[in-house]
Amino acid sequence: MSMGTRRDLFRGLAGIGAAALLARGGRAVAQDSSVIRLGLTTALTGPYNEFGEGNKRGFDLAIEQWNAKGGIDGRKIEIVTALDDQMVPDRAAQNMRRLLDDPSLTAILGPAGSGATMAVIDMVTASGRPYVNALAQATAATYPQTFGKAPRRNVFTFGIISNVEAEVLGTYVAKTFKSIAVMHESTSYGVSGRDTLLGVVKQHRPDVKIAVEAYNQRATDVTAQLVRLQQSDAEAFLVIGLGTDLVNIRRSMARLGLKQPLVTSAGGLSLPYFEGAGDAAVGTVAPMVGVLVEDEPRPEVTRFVEAYKARFGTDRYWGPDPQRPQIQMSLIVIPAYDGANLLLEGIRRAKSTEPAAIIAALEGIRDYPGVNTIYNFSADRHHGIGTESLAMLRVVKKGEKLGLEVLKG
Amino acid sequence: MRFTITLAVAGLSVGSIYALIAVTLNLTFWTTRTVNFGQGAILMLCTMATAVAARSGVPIWLAGTVGILASAFAMVIAERVCVLPASKVGGSMGWAVSTLGFGILIQGIVSKYLGNQAVAFPDVVLDAAQFVDLFGIRIGAQYLVVFAFSLTVIALLDLAIRYTVWGRVVQAVAQDPELTRVFGVPMRRVVVVSFALSGAMAGVAGILTAQIIGTVDPAFGFSLLISGFVASIVGGFGRNWGALLGGLVIGVIEQVVGGYVSTAAGHGVSLAVLMVVLAVRPQGLLGRAEAVKA
Amino acid sequence: MTRIRFLLGAVLCDARFVGLLALAIVAAAPHLSEATRQLISFAVINILIACSINLLTGMAGQISLGQAAFMGIAAYASVLLVKVAGWPFALSVPAGALMAAAAGWILSWPAGRVREFYLAMMTLGFGMIFVEVVREWDSVTGGVMGITGIPSPQLRSLVVFGRTLDTADYLRLLAVIAAAVLFWLSGLNRSRVGRAFFAVHESETAADSIGIDSAMVKRQAYTLSAGLAGLAGALYGHLVSYVGPESFELHRSIEILVMSVIGGLGSLPGQVVGAVALTWLPLQLEVFEDFKFILYGAVLVAIFVVMPRGLAGLLFPPPRMIRPAWRQAAAPPTATTGGSARRVVGRTVLAWTGLRRSFGGLTAVADFSCELAAGEVLGLIGPNGSGKSTTINVLSGLYPPSSGRIELAGADVSGLPPHVVARRGMVRTFQDPRLVGRFTVLENVLLGAHVHARYGALEAGFGIGRIRRDEPAAIARAAGVLTAMGLDDVADRVLETLPYGYRRLVEVARALMVEPDVLLLDEPAAGLSEGEIGRLERAVLDLRAAGVAVLIVDHHMDFLARVVDRVVVLDGGREIFRGAIGAMRDDPKVAECYLGRMETTDARG
Repeated sequence: MSMGTRRDLFRGLAGIGAAALLARGGRAVAQDSSVIRLGLTTALTGPYNEFGEGNKRGFDLAIEQWNAKGGIDGRKIEIVTALDDQMVPDRAAQNMRRLLDDPSLTAILGPAGSGATMAVIDMVTASGRPYVNALAQATAATYPQTFGKAPRRNVFTFGIISNVEAEVLGTYVAKTFKSIAVMHESTSYGVSGRDTLLGVVKQHRPDVKIAVEAYNQRATDVTAQLVRLQQSDAEAFLVIGLGTDLVNIRRSMARLGLKQPLVTSAGGLSLPYFEGAGDAAVGTVAPMVGVLVEDEPRPEVTRFVEAYKARFGTDRYWGPDPQRPQIQMSLIVIPAYDGANLLLEGIRRAKSTEPAAIIAALEGIRDYPGVNTIYNFSADRHHGIGTESLAMLRVVKKGEKLGLEVLKG
Repeated sequence: MRFTITLAVAGLSVGSIYALIAVTLNLTFWTTRTVNFGQGAILMLCTMATAVAARSGVPIWLAGTVGILASAFAMVIAERVCVLPASKVGGSMGWAVSTLGFGILIQGIVSKYLGNQAVAFPDVVLDAAQFVDLFGIRIGAQYLVVFAFSLTVIALLDLAIRYTVWGRVVQAVAQDPELTRVFGVPMRRVVVVSFALSGAMAGVAGILTAQIIGTVDPAFGFSLLISGFVASIVGGFGRNWGALLGGLVIGVIEQVVGGYVSTAAGHGVSLAVLMVVLAVRPQGLLGRAEAVKA
Repeated sequence: MTRIRFLLGAVLCDARFVGLLALAIVAAAPHLSEATRQLISFAVINILIACSINLLTGMAGQISLGQAAFMGIAAYASVLLVKVAGWPFALSVPAGALMAAAAGWILSWPAGRVREFYLAMMTLGFGMIFVEVVREWDSVTGGVMGITGIPSPQLRSLVVFGRTLDTADYLRLLAVIAAAVLFWLSGLNRSRVGRAFFAVHESETAADSIGIDSAMVKRQAYTLSAGLAGLAGALYGHLVSYVGPESFELHRSIEILVMSVIGGLGSLPGQVVGAVALTWLPLQLEVFEDFKFILYGAVLVAIFVVMPRGLAGLLFPPPRMIRPAWRQAAAPPTATTGGSARRVVGRTVLAWTGLRRSFGGLTAVADFSCELAAGEVLGLIGPNGSGKSTTINVLSGLYPPSSGRIELAGADVSGLPPHVVARRGMVRTFQDPRLVGRFTVLENVLLGAHVHARYGALEAGFGIGRIRRDEPAAIARAAGVLTAMGLDDVADRVLETLPYGYRRLVEVARALMVEPDVLLLDEPAAGLSEGEIGRLERAVLDLRAAGVAVLIVDHHMDFLARVVDRVVVLDGGREIFRGAIGAMRDDPKVAECYLGRMETTDARG
């Protein structure tokens, strides 16, 4: 072995040693912190950054408000590590490993999509660290067996989980139609949404006639699906998917002369759908947290709306109408805002950053007024938004613009 | 019957877009023996630029022109930075990898600076609700317009190939690539024109697609490109009428398999057709096998 | 600078260094943080994947845009075998890798028939179909939801031989596997197997002409590459404890390609550098993610022009294709062109009758019959387009004859594929020498010994078994041929740095390594200096003395006059003269048809 070899080998070994030291050093620093440290991984960039960035704004706003009030027992709150996973499962898993590896983080704020969340959730559960799930709708992220069975001890969900959305949507559909044609996107969101939804519909109305078709996200043409469904003579079309694909479906329905009402998942209330489908969107019905369209909102809602506008202005989450935020805020920004608020409330009540204490405190929260809803958690219930918080909304024409009204019902 | 005709009309309409994309691939293939693996991003660029411009109040015809010019320009750049240098490297790896990279680059730039959310695309000619009644069967007017427009563009290109100087050079070079050397310097101009045209026509294909689906985002275009590839390979690479046949066949097969077998099978069927054609008859339906060069 | 590069290359390419590095990881693993362990684990898995595409794309030259599918096949297979069938991890991972290898082998059949962008399309389609199948076959694969709860070191749920593996154990396992794979690959690359990959990459026709079955070599490349990607995929599945279709989509295949291209296609240490860089960078540079696509795109656009050999081109000397150990083991060369005693001078070894070949309506060779005896040198001349090269192409099996019969040593070889013809003892050279530019002269010549070696990929990689005998013997023989041709002083020069004339001689030397009974030389003297022609002449005369039959197509009359026994003149695909070269000059038909056009012929060729 030459001199060079030995020297390089030495350097290599030294490098590995240094890495080990650094990693331990990181641990040592963490012990004596006067800051409550949080970790975040979400889609800060990439094709889905709309969700990740929206989540982050919600988290940031809540944390800034707590800090402005003096923090928790004088301790400031800070997202010390914010990692970008672009909603790619692998990247999310790597990021989560890094976060869980840092014992100084009191709680973890998780990825913004179901796929990425499912890739990390086992790891998170095993760690026992309090975890805020602000957006992932997959029920299994919160309730690993089935909805209603034991939740993951440390996972608290603030978004609309599939089963809750399906319950509201399914009840509406079962009450209103005798036969339906279902179209869903071929993603985990679409597939699990279909299954839970159909379960609910059949439960309420066992004799309902159902026809189902799937389509790929960004499909160029959905005529085949629609024509097949058309043969089932359904009274209504029910679509589970993104707003962009809804545009294509709505336009294709118009081309084929399908006059049935369109019922959709939350995608039917998104800006791309309104813009792309135009007047054809009128009449579309979808379930959503209705707080932003209510005529007399609760004070928490008003305060949030004002605070958001003051902090971020009328950004893309706010939407085109400077007077009124768009309803999508309830889907992307508010769950994160409420999630951070409740987490910090839990830490405050626990008077500790020990996971078990925080979890116990969170499970003890009753009738806590958040923005999207009044929160109730328990040992068996780890999701915030229940069926009672959702309303069926209908797209209507208000003058020149499209608006929403709550279906009474 | 009504069922089949509805499917066939949608299939022919979408298939004509596939054919148009396949023809844009031919354009670069004839003159340089290369294919742009980033063509999907080129047509996305045009469509996104048009949609963003139209949203900010620019009249649609002007927005469309800007978009088409942007994609034509992007193709000229692609020729300069991807294809020309790679020809000196030799083999197909150089240009295949570098045009693939060019597509990713454009997609990256567009999503970084124009945003990666879907943008609504305005109706250029008719709106989705208009239809034509054909023997009692309702046929979306937009499908017919898209179909007619694609075919017209392909036909115009064919005329240009036959009756212009540029077209004759392209034809000659397509048949015997060795001629590039004989033509010398003017060849560069012919190549650049071919690439610009390819980009412009890809842009048109993007706008036509957006008429059907209604929105556009930075990831738009990739699956269209795959369908374009399949169309051109099925029809026989480098042949315009092959591309047209291939496009229409693939468009109709997708719809009919989707309609009669299952829509899930409809997704995969064009890929399956691609693999089978490549394995069994790589020269395509209308192509002739290339002689082995010693 | 060159010195540092050389040193760095020597160190990083050294098996002992890789071994020590693996040992260091094994020793350090428990002391690293979880995140560091995971980072290194991902880097190691990426190294395996980069090596897999390097084998197929970098070495064998078969572009792959569906490499992630091989990973996916093995990941799903291994995970399902463990979860559903209850197999032990120690069996499921190899089983997954084998299934991926089988998929690679199956794909190689249709893929072997197409090249260039058709191949790119086919691999792209393959990758997309895999994802489509995974998504739709949800009763087995979990569809778009993927499979969670996979036994994994992250969750302390992976048990191997009764021991629960934690992430440190898993990292150790990965390090050992990767070191073994790298060791194996470094042996494989520098053996007839690796050299054949590059030969096929450079020119399939040329590879076939010296008896290398390029279709078989490609199948081997696909199978090994897929198996390796599969190994990485299976290990990946258990590492992250979740597999879903998104993990194996096109973007992953492109990421794999980017890693390999940045590292340097064709360079093994380059793969390590590329994989480590692209695993480590995104975690260090937050801004990296934001500009990831722009950056990947820019890299792919520019790399072949700016840095065609990737980081490896900057950091390391170009890879060599012979292991020094075999060279040291080789006997000292004896100058020989490779004649052997079994040939009986004067007996007919090659005969063709009624040979015809037409292209479309054009007949290139018509009703041509002739024979060649052992130890005879035949000149085949005629103006351009008279059918000389076509004759060689048909005899060597490149084109099947339209009609007629070719007998080699009494057996019918008409219509056989070129590599079979070469193995039967008839070898050709080309008008434009088709050698591997990045190889040295000796490495190029060694390609000719491919058919005489028997060792396989396993023996080649680990340096055991038949390679210990075959490789030193081939090196000694190659050195002998080079000495006989007067090329021994350039044996270690990289071919593309040598003047044109050398390439012709090297190609002849490579053909001689096959030990042919019949040698077909297509314009061997074109572009050669007088001195080089002298060497060529000596080689041809040596071969004649050794009983090899030689057919020479050439325009260089003085050269021909010095070496040939007789000539045949073709015009328009028909024989117009046969006999001594002296008599040819006086033949009126030849004068009319051939010499009259000499000037134009010379001017063009």
